[in-house]
Amino acid sequence: MLSAMPRRLRLPFSILVAALVAGAPSACERRGGCTGSYCGTLIDAAVGEPGTLLPTSTEEIVARDIEEQLFLKLADVGMSTNTVGDEDFQPLLAQRWEWDGPLTLVFHLDPRARWQDGQRVTATDVAFTFDAYNDSAVASPYRPQLKRIASVTPRDSLTAVFRFRERYPEMFYDAVYHMRILPAHLLRPVPRDQWKTAPFGRAPVGDGPYRFVRWQAAQSIELVADSTFFLGRPRLRRLIWRFTPDLGVAISQVVADQADIREQVVTPENLERLRAAPQIALYPYRGNVYTFLSFNQRANGDTAKPNPIFADREIRRALSMAVDRASLVRSRLGELGKVPPGPMSSLLWIWDPEIRQLPFDTAQASSILNARGWRDHDGDGIRDRAGQPLAFHILVPTTSVLRKQYARLLQEEYRAIGVRVDIDEVENSVVGQRVGTGHYDTAILSRANDPSPSSGIAQTWTRAGFGGSNFGRYANPEFDRLVDRAIAATSPDDARRLWRSAMDLINADAPAVFLYSLENMAAIHSRVDNVQLRPDSWAALLRGWRIPSSGLIDRDRVER
Amino acid sequence: MTGVVWLLRRLVASVAIIFAVVTLVFILIHVAPGDPCVGSDESARDPAMCPLLIRQFGLDQPLYVQYGRYLLQLLQGNLGYSFSLHRPVRDALAETIPFTLQLAGVALLIDFLVGLWLGIYQALRVNRLPDVVLSNVTLFAYSLPTFWLALVLLLLFAEKVKLFPLGGPSDPVLCPLIDSAYCVADRIWHLVLPALTLGLVGAAGTARFQRAAMLEVAQQDFVRTARAKGLSERRVVLRHQLRNALLSFITRFGLTLPFLLTGAVLIETIFAWPGMGRLAVDAILTRDHALVTATGLIASTVVVSGNFLADILIGIADPRVRVAADGTGSPLPA
Repeated sequence: MLSAMPRRLRLPFSILVAALVAGAPSACERRGGCTGSYCGTLIDAAVGEPGTLLPTSTEEIVARDIEEQLFLKLADVGMSTNTVGDEDFQPLLAQRWEWDGPLTLVFHLDPRARWQDGQRVTATDVAFTFDAYNDSAVASPYRPQLKRIASVTPRDSLTAVFRFRERYPEMFYDAVYHMRILPAHLLRPVPRDQWKTAPFGRAPVGDGPYRFVRWQAAQSIELVADSTFFLGRPRLRRLIWRFTPDLGVAISQVVADQADIREQVVTPENLERLRAAPQIALYPYRGNVYTFLSFNQRANGDTAKPNPIFADREIRRALSMAVDRASLVRSRLGELGKVPPGPMSSLLWIWDPEIRQLPFDTAQASSILNARGWRDHDGDGIRDRAGQPLAFHILVPTTSVLRKQYARLLQEEYRAIGVRVDIDEVENSVVGQRVGTGHYDTAILSRANDPSPSSGIAQTWTRAGFGGSNFGRYANPEFDRLVDRAIAATSPDDARRLWRSAMDLINADAPAVFLYSLENMAAIHSRVDNVQLRPDSWAALLRGWRIPSSGLIDRDRVER
Repeated sequence: MTGVVWLLRRLVASVAIIFAVVTLVFILIHVAPGDPCVGSDESARDPAMCPLLIRQFGLDQPLYVQYGRYLLQLLQGNLGYSFSLHRPVRDALAETIPFTLQLAGVALLIDFLVGLWLGIYQALRVNRLPDVVLSNVTLFAYSLPTFWLALVLLLLFAEKVKLFPLGGPSDPVLCPLIDSAYCVADRIWHLVLPALTLGLVGAAGTARFQRAAMLEVAQQDFVRTARAKGLSERRVVLRHQLRNALLSFITRFGLTLPFLLTGAVLIETIFAWPGMGRLAVDAILTRDHALVTATGLIASTVVVSGNFLADILIGIADPRVRVAADGTGSPLPA
């Protein structure tokens, strides 16, 4: 065929073909050298990319995973994810701590801790960090979680003193969990209102087990182990987050052995693909996200008026009872989901299957609707009252395949009891805007919990969340009181009992249908050993993972 | 002199078009529904945070104030800050444009070299078996959705056969930077599937286009005259037929170039290629006003430049067009 080509075109065409053909074999060559116990390279097939690696400003899960390796907290929760008192908390920057009176907590920093530019980590850094997280110019999303800490001051270079406004069971958790300590000497010169765009966020200097190496936009972020890390040299030499915009491609990278870990597989279809890959081991762990159908109790677009359908508690209860949540979870998520016993993920210690929930009972749902006057008067299959059909819209983001599938399944379940549902699939930013301003009937929304029930439930389901995350404007003063008492309870047993009462009540009020709680499954290359996944943060214990020298593959040995 | 006037006229018109597009994009993205504060809808939000961010980025100002400020920044070469990427827009574009150029360049090369050659090959064997077979093959290839072809190639050659990498522009372990001949080869290896996907579908269209153009020119009197003069078939095809058929080819080039630079979004997403199309879509989804407007600016500049370039090339290839543009003669023979 080449002979038929004009002579002038033959050479460039040949060069192109040769280059393409030659590229493949040459790229398959590997340059190796590293041997021993500290050679591992772990590539994470990440979906999405952080905007910055400055901990005050990040909300993306992938950013938090990377920051786990770069910036230390004073201490962190243990595998139990207990948040009450200081039981099972693990020391990190703080070597030890003690209470100096009921409202004063004193941390003693580990004198061996160093920033990666050689400077010592001091109590001044701790005080500076608290001040930054609380500065409105920084606009940190973690600021509300720190509101009960009055001040943080350095007593000497290695002693930081926390003073609280009130006494409550999660004082220690609040002091250590939300803040990653920042280097004051590097960030003090940066104006606070410019932190979000500060160059430091794209080339951070931390004090954690790994050092930042490079960030290639829309490609990867690479970290390398700090061999002098004061809590012990990390066993994996190099960590790479490889960004892929599509979950399916990320799963393919793990299946094809071009990445080592996908920490969440999300769908049963992905799980099956990964099960078929012989080099992959699967690790289940508790999930931290729950999803619900939120009923807007205010009129669509006018928060001053009650919603003609959802302001009625009995109607909400009927619509909750019409949904077979267990079947939906079984059919769409299999082992990757559970029916939540309230507004919570299985990460929370208040998760209790004994919490009272509304049953799946379409007969009772129908009789409630009949009793409230919603009957099919005109025989069109849709209930109506005073000429108005019982109909509403479900708002769902286009980016979530799972939630779109759920919307269709809910549409079908509601149709069966004579309720017409239309589905509005819109971009995530539009969902955010519409639920934030009350321009919706119902919406399928998700929430991520941190290990404590306190802040998340209060912000999303009590009156304190009005104008914030309580989009449906659910308000029951008795529920708010129970939550406040549960948060303030001094004994874990009391707290558990009060949380259970609060959950019984919110389930009875049915401000939403609590559809599913995701159960996580991590797919990790089987050569990786000593894998420990803490449920609230899979990457928190990465520095202990290792690849035995007998399991090294080419990319583990690469020297650069 | 008249050529210079024509050039200046085109330049002024081009700048006006670009200005109009940027204005339109700026207004549309600002009035479009959607909340730029929404990152992940999984996080509980602090009611006080969003207004703060909006104030920090000046989004609380009236639209005309924001627009005026944007134009002033633009005149100083400042494209603004991306609040989804937490960095200057200029830096984000500077990183993605080279990748887009690499992918588009190779895809364009495949598209036009293969397409041109196939078109000529078919035209010289019109209605014979190779032509019939290739016509059907190119029609089939042209009708394939590129995203489907991309997924099939990825599944087949990357996941199953493991001949090519599964996305990304380079091996993140061996070649995070292009600092050796080895890494150049690695980049080419990573380019193969995305460039082939874009290039082959394009080549199928180009081949059909070129075949039709060649056959149309073959009916012209000057081709018959060239043959009557006793010129060799090769000379007739290359000097007379192909050169005249190139006019439509150049027009197609002018139209294809912008598409390859800005329209390869799906390919960039599937192959995790860090190009400008992907950046633009992410910017739209996050309502990143500065980034969306900047990508609109780049896209319109490329479209206008592509057409401008095509006009110049047509003028070079066909003196009749130059005559017409100069206003000194009839554009076509009587």
